Amino acid sequence: MGVDPLLRVENLVTAFETDTGRIRAVDGVSFEIEPGETVCLVGESGSGKTVTSESITRLIATPPGEITAGTIWFDGRELTELAEAELRALRGDRIAHVFQNPQETLNPVYPVGRQIAETLRIHDSGGSRPINDQVIDLLDRVGIPEPTDRVDDYPHQLSGGMKQRVVIAMALAGQPDLLIADEPTTALDVTIQAQILRLLEELQEELGMAILFVTHDLGVVAEIADRVIVLYAGKVMERAAVHELFEKPAHPYTRALLACLPGRGGETAPIGGEIPPPADPPEGCRFHPRCPHAIGACRDGDQPPLGDVESGGTDHRASCVFYQSGYETDRLETPMGERTEPTGPEGER
Amino acid sequence: MAAERDPMTFDGVDWDRWEGGRGVGSVQLLEALAGLVLLGALCFDYVLVAPGEPTIAVGGAGGPGAEAAVVWDVSSVEWLFAGVLLLGLFHIAVPLAENRRMTAYYWRQFRKNGLAVVSLGYLGLLFLVGVVGPIIWVAPNETIDYASAYAPPLGLGGGLSSPEHALGTDAQGRHIWHLIVYGIRVSFEVGLIATALAISIGTVVGAVAAYVGGYVDEILMRYVDLQQTFPVFILLLLIIYLYGASLLLIILLYGVFGWEGIARLVRSEALQRSEQAYTRAAEAAGASRRWIVRRHIIPNVSSTVITAATLSIPVFILGEATLSFLGFGDPSTFSWGRTISAGRADLDSAWWISTIPGVFLFLTVLAFNFVGDALRDATDPRSES
Repeated sequence: MGVDPLLRVENLVTAFETDTGRIRAVDGVSFEIEPGETVCLVGESGSGKTVTSESITRLIATPPGEITAGTIWFDGRELTELAEAELRALRGDRIAHVFQNPQETLNPVYPVGRQIAETLRIHDSGGSRPINDQVIDLLDRVGIPEPTDRVDDYPHQLSGGMKQRVVIAMALAGQPDLLIADEPTTALDVTIQAQILRLLEELQEELGMAILFVTHDLGVVAEIADRVIVLYAGKVMERAAVHELFEKPAHPYTRALLACLPGRGGETAPIGGEIPPPADPPEGCRFHPRCPHAIGACRDGDQPPLGDVESGGTDHRASCVFYQSGYETDRLETPMGERTEPTGPEGER
Repeated sequence: MAAERDPMTFDGVDWDRWEGGRGVGSVQLLEALAGLVLLGALCFDYVLVAPGEPTIAVGGAGGPGAEAAVVWDVSSVEWLFAGVLLLGLFHIAVPLAENRRMTAYYWRQFRKNGLAVVSLGYLGLLFLVGVVGPIIWVAPNETIDYASAYAPPLGLGGGLSSPEHALGTDAQGRHIWHLIVYGIRVSFEVGLIATALAISIGTVVGAVAAYVGGYVDEILMRYVDLQQTFPVFILLLLIIYLYGASLLLIILLYGVFGWEGIARLVRSEALQRSEQAYTRAAEAAGASRRWIVRRHIIPNVSSTVITAATLSIPVFILGEATLSFLGFGDPSTFSWGRTISAGRADLDSAWWISTIPGVFLFLTVLAFNFVGDALRDATDPRSES
């Protein structure tokens, strides 16, 4: 696989031109994805997680959206410099997407088999075997019973879970190296959610693809992620391996998010305040107006750079002044004393 | 990952087999074949058959100059008509026959409107008579017989009327029935060909404008505005005045200048479709704009298109009748409008010459409107009033 990560996003800025001004929905986001691993982008609505995921293959609507800065390296190529046609060849073939709402992702006028065949057809990744057989194979692979009968079904004849399986089959048709799943389980009920997550894990093991999983649901994160990137208002707040994040959340925002989760012992505590207006984000740390630990240094300048949470080379970093040299992280523990050491078996996979 | 790709690495696409499994491939083949036959026949007509000679002369001795039982010199409009019918057969009739469940559903919805069912029956009958009739009945000009001019319809004129010309005769003794039969074909040719043209242009323009957006949308829709405010009828009169009236020209002009309403309708519908997740999914799967417009946007606005098509047919039929009534029609055709116009002078003494084609025109336009309304209700329950 080589030393280079499969995907390396550096300082990505995606801005939208709106009536109220220019909105930097993604503002300097960096992360990597290694081949075969699952990275979760976590954040509230409006944190820029979907825009980040869609910027990778430039699926954002242009205009009004535009990638104004940053680089996206995928398998040795710089995606922001590729022409539309080159990107098109990549989409669905090397990088596939699964979207949130399976009811709407499938075109109601075609049988599902034909829609899966479409991806095969677009990328000419068919072959000597009849496409119909490959489609049935794919349906079988995503766990659809009696795939030979289901190929001719129209989307409305399938349940929500089945539809999402079909959507996943569509994404797998091109044998992608990277699957970008944007809240693929949000529209499904909990039992189906678990099935789909398990399916994704099985497929990942089988096919060795990397997954970029976008979600707001920390429960889902605990179940599927290898590494987690926490986004807030277009900035990366914290990045860590999944068990690190759940056991030792470093950034006050991550801690606040975890405190919102029920079933972790103690009261669930909503985060006070609101997400800052995207057109006019606060100076300094984006989270400081809602942060119980904010000090003067939080209010000035830019978002603090990602600092090592622990010395020792782990990839656990937080964008908080307290992790810059010269600050004591102990300060973070005082006002939230009851929850200093969140105990979370959720972190285990 | 190379090893993982193994089970899926193949050498070439076999899309035909995939579609063949659904019985679509053979139909497409048939369509291509039918198209080729038509094209071949067209070439035969234009290259090998001398101008002025009939294309088909069956029965009798055959050959140039000889008397034949069935003589049919296929005109360019008729070739076009055949092409449009072929398109309709393969893109409307065949899919309906293939998807029986949907067809049954639409039929159940359509049946709720009794008037529309009757209208559909009437139009079907009219179409059959219009297509087959000219082969059975001779052209009106061959029945010119001044001795039997102004014969009233059967049962109304006493001794003058006869079963031979049941609907009466005109000033030259031509049978009204023959004029009607030949007029049906003209009306259907105008209605269907011009609609096919207008629908094709309007759908593509509307769908592209909606999906691509930006300045493409702006340019296309501003042109549509222009065409909508432009007095096309005056332009038609001018062009016909300059270049002479031929049915082909009239049809082409109506088709090419009559699609702006359809384009607007399709655009508004396609705007919604462009926002749908399946369009985005297709983008994410690497589909090109052309592919998305053709395979995702247009199929999803087809119910709007079909309704708009049905409702624009009578507009074109009326348009041609109007031109003919004003004397700008093709003098070599037997359009209803021309017959109505010719009978104007004799309205006092021989009312049937104008009235009977007028009734046919009225009923046909009405029937298309009823069918169009019922189709709209059947395909889009939201618009049910």
